[in-house]
Amino acid sequence: MNVSRLATTVLQYVFLGTAAFLSIFPFIWMVISSTNKSIDIISGRTGIGDAFGINVANFFSQVDVPLVFWNSVKVSVLATLLTIVVSSLAGYGFEMFRSKARDRIYALVLLTLMVPFAALMIPLFMMMARSGLINTHIAIMLPTIASAFIIFYFRQSTKAFQTELRDAAKVDGLKEWQIFLYIYVPVMRSTYAAAFVIVFMTNWNNYLWPLIVLQSNETKTITLVVSSLASAYYPDYGVVMIGTILATLPTLLVFFVMQRQFVQGMLGSVK
Amino acid sequence: MYSKTNLSRFAAGALAAASLLASTAAFAGEVTVWCWDPNFNVAIMKEAAARYSAKHPETTFNIVDFAKADVEQKLQTALSSGTTDALPDIVLIEDYGAQKYLQSFPGAFAELSSKVDFSGFAPYKVQLMTMDGAVYGMPFDSGVTGLYYRKDYLEQAGFKPEDMQDLTWDRFIEIGKQVEAKTGKKMLGLDVNDAGFVRILMQSAGGWYFDKDGNLSIENNAALKAALETEQKILQANIHKPAAGWTEWVATFTSGDVATVTTGVWITGTVKAQADQSGKWGVAPIPKLNVEGASHASNLGGSSWYVTASSAEKDEAIDFLNEVYAKDVDFYQKILTERGAVGSLMAARNGPAYSEADAFFGGEKVWQNFSDWLAKVPAVNYGVFTNEVDTAVTAHLPSLGQGAPIDDVLKAVDSQAQGQIQ
Repeated sequence: MNVSRLATTVLQYVFLGTAAFLSIFPFIWMVISSTNKSIDIISGRTGIGDAFGINVANFFSQVDVPLVFWNSVKVSVLATLLTIVVSSLAGYGFEMFRSKARDRIYALVLLTLMVPFAALMIPLFMMMARSGLINTHIAIMLPTIASAFIIFYFRQSTKAFQTELRDAAKVDGLKEWQIFLYIYVPVMRSTYAAAFVIVFMTNWNNYLWPLIVLQSNETKTITLVVSSLASAYYPDYGVVMIGTILATLPTLLVFFVMQRQFVQGMLGSVK
Repeated sequence: MYSKTNLSRFAAGALAAASLLASTAAFAGEVTVWCWDPNFNVAIMKEAAARYSAKHPETTFNIVDFAKADVEQKLQTALSSGTTDALPDIVLIEDYGAQKYLQSFPGAFAELSSKVDFSGFAPYKVQLMTMDGAVYGMPFDSGVTGLYYRKDYLEQAGFKPEDMQDLTWDRFIEIGKQVEAKTGKKMLGLDVNDAGFVRILMQSAGGWYFDKDGNLSIENNAALKAALETEQKILQANIHKPAAGWTEWVATFTSGDVATVTTGVWITGTVKAQADQSGKWGVAPIPKLNVEGASHASNLGGSSWYVTASSAEKDEAIDFLNEVYAKDVDFYQKILTERGAVGSLMAARNGPAYSEADAFFGGEKVWQNFSDWLAKVPAVNYGVFTNEVDTAVTAHLPSLGQGAPIDDVLKAVDSQAQGQIQ
């Protein structure tokens, strides 16, 4: 290994190390801060303190943690499963069935990606209000289920699905729904896993729409609770940090559990 | 759900009919309230609700806690979409934004003029919720301002508490130079990305970004001009400790690095949280600008309660606010002691908590003083676009420190504000 190659490698590692540190720093700081008193957090203390127990106790006394968590889990898991079922069927359909109108409809679906949510918010709110769904968890889930991005993702991934498999299954006499369920789904497992991670994170962190729709303390999700804690005139940052940690944990868990499939799924979609 | 609503309507109707026979009115609904800050507004509203429920057991409360920006977002969405059944019965609105909601959504909030005696409240607070001569809210907490100062630092620099009374800002700057020369401490913390200081000074001289009729008033605004000049003098005299953001600004005085703080009364709790500084602080009226109409009283922040006109529990909600917030002096003692909240009902000053001498401030009766100043806060028209103009002012504050001529700054603010409003 000559000197210039060694220098390049060192530079690469320095760059990667810096980037990794910058990415991970907010997490480290969040964890460190959760052990400090609010006043120490404000003054920028970077050492580990002894207030972790107090912060946790305060958080649990101010927030109905099991209820809030149950709300978030219920909404995120249900919405994620529904999104994946609906959007993967759509992605499969768009790729498998040829018709003249196919790409025009597909373009229309993709076009909805360009409409910002702020523009949809008020009409959606009126729809939900007229259907009597305000302050229900169904109202949070409904608008997210047909996700243009996930349909796009499934269609792109389906291009890598070998059509010979479908043809063979047809010869064997399988119906279309059987092909989808028994052949497509198992083959595309890693795509599903990646989609699950993406959709779950989006739903778990969803903020604006639940905020508009939910009206009572009993229906609130964790993101709303943390936001309300953080906006006090004198927020207890120790308590806020405990809230952010608890709000981050599930997405981290889901990601780490599915990391391998996620990476495979992302690779698969490039083909 | 429907049968329950009908039942409660029926019950309310039956009770209303019964109340025609009996002399006292009775209600039987659930009053929903939206507000922010679990340790302040939410806790105070819970206290108020408990007091009302004790006398009216049939009334229940559902106090929902959202972030301030979230309350505004939800209110805006529900009002814009005309979905009145998604609105609460009572909502907390920040005073600076009151006229925006009242004027943008006429008829959305219940008029309270005929039901509440507003003469008992600080006049500036009633003015900001008045539209076309009618009053639409229940005045709540005040941000009446004071000049908090470190007696120990000022004494070292040769100034007694008497010397801190009836100041002008020019005198304040002179004192600041002395303080720095003698003690090495800066006179005040200042965040040039926050226009709060400018707003305090401007309102103390009876001015705002808008004139009495709500029209934008920047270029020929004597109060605003004097406020900007004062900030420029302070920046150029370099008697300030720069702060970036709220937490850093708070740290300038909690750490003991500066000799004074000029802000709203709600900072008292933060000042007093530094137990080791007990006895070292005093509070004086804020210095005066050198323009017509200048005074020693001003305000920063504060918010008030509003009842939605479409509410099914409207009368109940109004009766509740009237009974507690407009009459219960004891309630105001409790929220002052427990939450550090200064209300705007003038009669509250006669209670024990307001009369108490505070050892932290060397035995001064600070609450009586704040109450005196509260009555004198000049009433101004906060207009519809306070936040937009504030952004324009904030954008040009840093140029003050570089010596930009004030008239140029006003011109720049004016054109940016015009652009944002249209």
